[in-house]
Amino acid sequence: MIGRLLKALLILIALAVALGPFVVLVLNSIRPSDEFLSASAGFLPSEATFEYYAAIFDPDESTLRYLVNSLIITTATTVIAVAFGALAAYSLARLRLPFKLSLVIGLAFLVVRFYPKITVALPYYLMMREVGLLDTHLAVILAHVSITVPFVVWLLLGFFEELPREIELSAMLDGCGPVRRFIKIVLPLSAPALGAAAVLTAFLSWNEFLMASTVAPNFAKTLPVRVSGFITDKGIQWGNMSAMGTVIVAPVVIFALFTQRYLARGLTVGAVKG
Amino acid sequence: MARSSSQLTGGEGLPGGPIARAGERLGERGALALFLVPALAVIAVAQFYPLVESIIITTHDWTLARSPVMGRFVGLDNYARALTDPQFVGSTGFTLLLAVGSTVISLAFGLGLALLTVGEGFHFRLSRTLLMLPMVIAPVAVGTMWRMILAARVGPLNQALAGIGIDGPNWLGDPNWAAASVIIVDAWQWTPFVTIVMAAALASLPADVLRAAEVDGAGRWTIFRRIVFPMILPVFLLVAMFRAIDALMTLDIIFTTTGGGPGFATQTLSFWIYQQGLRYFNISYAAAASWILLAGCLVVAAGFLVWRSRISGWQRERGA
Repeated sequence: MIGRLLKALLILIALAVALGPFVVLVLNSIRPSDEFLSASAGFLPSEATFEYYAAIFDPDESTLRYLVNSLIITTATTVIAVAFGALAAYSLARLRLPFKLSLVIGLAFLVVRFYPKITVALPYYLMMREVGLLDTHLAVILAHVSITVPFVVWLLLGFFEELPREIELSAMLDGCGPVRRFIKIVLPLSAPALGAAAVLTAFLSWNEFLMASTVAPNFAKTLPVRVSGFITDKGIQWGNMSAMGTVIVAPVVIFALFTQRYLARGLTVGAVKG
Repeated sequence: MARSSSQLTGGEGLPGGPIARAGERLGERGALALFLVPALAVIAVAQFYPLVESIIITTHDWTLARSPVMGRFVGLDNYARALTDPQFVGSTGFTLLLAVGSTVISLAFGLGLALLTVGEGFHFRLSRTLLMLPMVIAPVAVGTMWRMILAARVGPLNQALAGIGIDGPNWLGDPNWAAASVIIVDAWQWTPFVTIVMAAALASLPADVLRAAEVDGAGRWTIFRRIVFPMILPVFLLVAMFRAIDALMTLDIIFTTTGGGPGFATQTLSFWIYQQGLRYFNISYAAAASWILLAGCLVVAAGFLVWRSRISGWQRERGA
């Protein structure tokens, strides 16, 4: 009995530590500005104000454009990475290549997870400058697909390898080629795994800062890059920063609560099975 | 249009019908091999080509502010310069401290929370879901949250401490406290990663072995130490590896918590390289430093993988 109470208490403390910062962020986004620098202000704001949301969504602030940029980049990255990744994973699961080539290609995808992206960011910036793609959605999308497609490949590879091959074999005997089998049989059977891959990719792209800030400083700027811009030498605009932080965090949290199972599956990729 | 031709193969109108027919003409293996092309092309163009380009740059002299094209060949000068630069050495020191601190803290709390919340009851699943939230949000947003919480005079943490009579430190203003703060913030964000993976590993343990141990009268601690932990150790080491290399690459949260300060106390290597390369445009110098970091990450990853394969080897031998 005491053991169970202690366990419940520990879980509650952990929840408070994990969720407390979210509460602080949201409360600060509606806190009147004179309560930021006063030590006498309470944990709860004395009244709610929405001036910061109004301020950041002011037409001059371009926040709306950054929001649209983030949505475009996240959507495109997710669609492309899942499509390309699913094709590659299916190929690796079914194709027997000579000289352990399948293993080499699989490792080529895996290795992307193991080095710092700052090493790639510098030459990638120069490359985009060279081809005139600086500050375009395409430059960010290409970078994000290249970072996320390895996750998709490894997540789906394990899934495709365990998919029973009987149906595919009988379709093959009926003269159904690989493209048709992939679209008509494999993809419908893989909906949960594809969902997990899509959710993981969307989170990675929505939150990504380094590549986006490197190649998209102005026009194609994304929300995370904008948030980092609130820290200026002139001092911090607490209210606007909190409102902007809430705008980035809230959709992800809501999405995470609804896709919890997919997400947990995506986040544990490789670690448990390997 | 596509419909009339797809009748030949007896299939319905299928998106990409012409592609499917082209695929069939290529033959089974040819079509499957082509499936690899888009994904490989993307990582070749956006990852491997820049990596190769980067190595070449490190052996040349290039400051973008001075010249739009790469300068003369300088061999390993850029590497030598980095290794003797106090800023590089200092940020390496902090990066290592952060990696060890954040990894150890997140592993300890993450495994603890996994043990606490493993189970299929509604409460456990809800707890796991809520505990997962710190890791799904953008690191720059995490930094923003904690910057407010840790604010010296008006932050809620120090106000709470004042409430119980403790004069809280200047978390982000004092070099030592700032370093500790960044470590705690990074551990806060990534503890859920450890929890989720370890909870999945714990849930997949064979129940009959655990029950047999309980029947034999083994205490909880003994069961954990002698049975559970050895069984989850391979997964644990893999998680430790990912935590360690990710912490070595830490960049985003530095921008929104401390900006590398006070002074240079909390500059990570990635952050310092970012400043050198993308702010001051010392391209070749930054690239060389980034390769030293890359080598470090690979060495750490290899170390954990060797450790893990040895343990799996022992376990197989003992099991046989």
